[in-house]
Amino acid sequence: MVQEEIVRIFQILFFPGFLFLVLAAFFYEWVDRKFVARLQNRLGPLHTGPMGLLQPFADFLKLLSKEDIVPGAADRLFFSAVPIFMLSLPLTALFCIPIISSVALVSFEGDLIFVIFVTTLFVISVFIGAWSSTNRFSTVGGMRACLQMLGYAVPMTVAMIGPAIVAKTLSISRIVQWQTTGLWFVLTQPLGFAIVAICFLAELQKIPFDIPKAETELVAGWLTEFGGKKLALLKLAEDLNFVLAGSIMASLYLGGASGFWFAPPFVWFIIKLTVCTLILSNLRALFARFRIDQLMRGVWKYLTPLALLQIILVELIPW
Amino acid sequence: MIERICGICSHAHTTCYTQAVEEALKVDLPPRAKYIRTVVAELERIHNHYFWLGILAHEIGFDTLFMYTWRDREIVMNLLELISGNRVQYAMNIIGGVRRDIMPSLSSEIMKGVKILAERMTYYKKVCLDEKTILARCVNVGVLKAKDAISLCAVGPTLRASNVRRDVRADDPYAAYDEIPFHVVTYDGCDVASRIATRCDEVLESVKIIRYALEHLPTGSIEVIVSRVVPSAETIARVEAPRGENIHYLRSNGTDKPARYKVRAPTLANLPALCRMLIGGYVADIPVVIAGIDPCFCCMDRLAFADTNTDKTWSWEGERLRKYGVKWYKKK
Repeated sequence: MVQEEIVRIFQILFFPGFLFLVLAAFFYEWVDRKFVARLQNRLGPLHTGPMGLLQPFADFLKLLSKEDIVPGAADRLFFSAVPIFMLSLPLTALFCIPIISSVALVSFEGDLIFVIFVTTLFVISVFIGAWSSTNRFSTVGGMRACLQMLGYAVPMTVAMIGPAIVAKTLSISRIVQWQTTGLWFVLTQPLGFAIVAICFLAELQKIPFDIPKAETELVAGWLTEFGGKKLALLKLAEDLNFVLAGSIMASLYLGGASGFWFAPPFVWFIIKLTVCTLILSNLRALFARFRIDQLMRGVWKYLTPLALLQIILVELIPW
Repeated sequence: MIERICGICSHAHTTCYTQAVEEALKVDLPPRAKYIRTVVAELERIHNHYFWLGILAHEIGFDTLFMYTWRDREIVMNLLELISGNRVQYAMNIIGGVRRDIMPSLSSEIMKGVKILAERMTYYKKVCLDEKTILARCVNVGVLKAKDAISLCAVGPTLRASNVRRDVRADDPYAAYDEIPFHVVTYDGCDVASRIATRCDEVLESVKIIRYALEHLPTGSIEVIVSRVVPSAETIARVEAPRGENIHYLRSNGTDKPARYKVRAPTLANLPALCRMLIGGYVADIPVVIAGIDPCFCCMDRLAFADTNTDKTWSWEGERLRKYGVKWYKKK
């Protein structure tokens, strides 16, 4: 009994809990940076650690050591609370994702809805952060983030319900378990997979949907006033969000953490997660940035009907 | 001094200056010097347009294209280094000729380089005019009709993208442009997309000019000795810089220092047109439209004061500014 508790605490704190997730966030930021750099014919991180592997961690430490500035006009309480709140969100959601076995650390009927809810909360906290920093670039960035969410949230949610309908459960762990016996959903619902990938690009605010922090238009968008420790936490939160996006895609569509052939579930999960993050990075290097009105039009005109079509197809075709 | 007006158009400004002085001194350039000036000017145009395409791609968030064009920009910078010894501030022009000669071995190097540049630019043009996300951000953005372009005195590729066939190289040939056949590129889209297409085609045209100039390079000396006595004179020189028309005005009063020297760089001429382009656009389009005229903020350096509390604006002359500076530092 006591031993079980110790194992449980170990799982939450170290593996696959906080420590592992933070390390994974740094690692996948490096994967993203290096991969995009190679696509753009650059070298990417090179000097810190082997092949620049420690660069994201070094950036994090550097930001932590910097002066902590709060603008005079900012709302101090919310401005300071937002980075912490934002960091806790993807961490919480990641506990619902099965990583080392086909059952997650926290698993209950309906955790898929919970995870979708948390990704939405992320945008709300972006807006609070932007609003409380009272900078005009931040405010415009926060507004854009909210508008963007009104666009992508609907098709993303609709598409993510597709696997849940087939597996007849709203729990991510059970969806993963269903896929160990049936086909992976990426084979039966490729359209849904594509829609979710596109919507995650918008959710992660990556090119072509980095509208809320468009560098050349809004300095750094909603991030403009954040610096030092706060920026470090926000960057880490974004990296964790990137891992979260990749692991949701891997779990819902690629079979997630399920043992197969010779390797344990964890190894397969990491491979699938890497594939998903590479898909997201690859898309990022291919496009120019859209304008907010173009994004909204595209999302409502094409993505939402396509997501609904996917649901209809799911209903019509038994697997 | 003149070379430092602008980093990218350093050759255009010195060409303009030397032309103004040569006209005052009534010097005839040797033909070889004229051809070498043309070759460097066109390489500079290629450099500028590659540079600009990268900046524009960065403004619309297409960093991959930005990285690729800037990688290829290295080729033309290396060529310019081979010719002049410098990558940016070429210092090729001297009054009465050019500083360095182009040897046949160097000439074949340049031929090889521009071949790659032309191939790459053909590819980038195809990318820019095929890629849906680029078109979505550039077509019908920052529209400047031909009538407005003429009445607001736009210059350079900005003007030619509004379907106005004006180019100092063709209209008022300097250097060797009267002997080299070339085509003035125009597009009728009047938007940022046609400004991209104009500049891409201008690069290809520049490559043709360089090839022709190197194949028909006249023999002879590259400079003439000029007298050091300057007569009093008043001259104007015009040069088609990569960004548009440069105008330099020179008045001399018989001493070795100019009595008045005035530079009108292309960005300043394009500003009124830019204000027109921005009307009715989106906030998100502002960077693209501003980048579309290829602005050079050192080209348009003018000093003015504005008091945000009283909305008053005024300007000072150099002497007044210097006195203010001395007073300010004493108080400190």
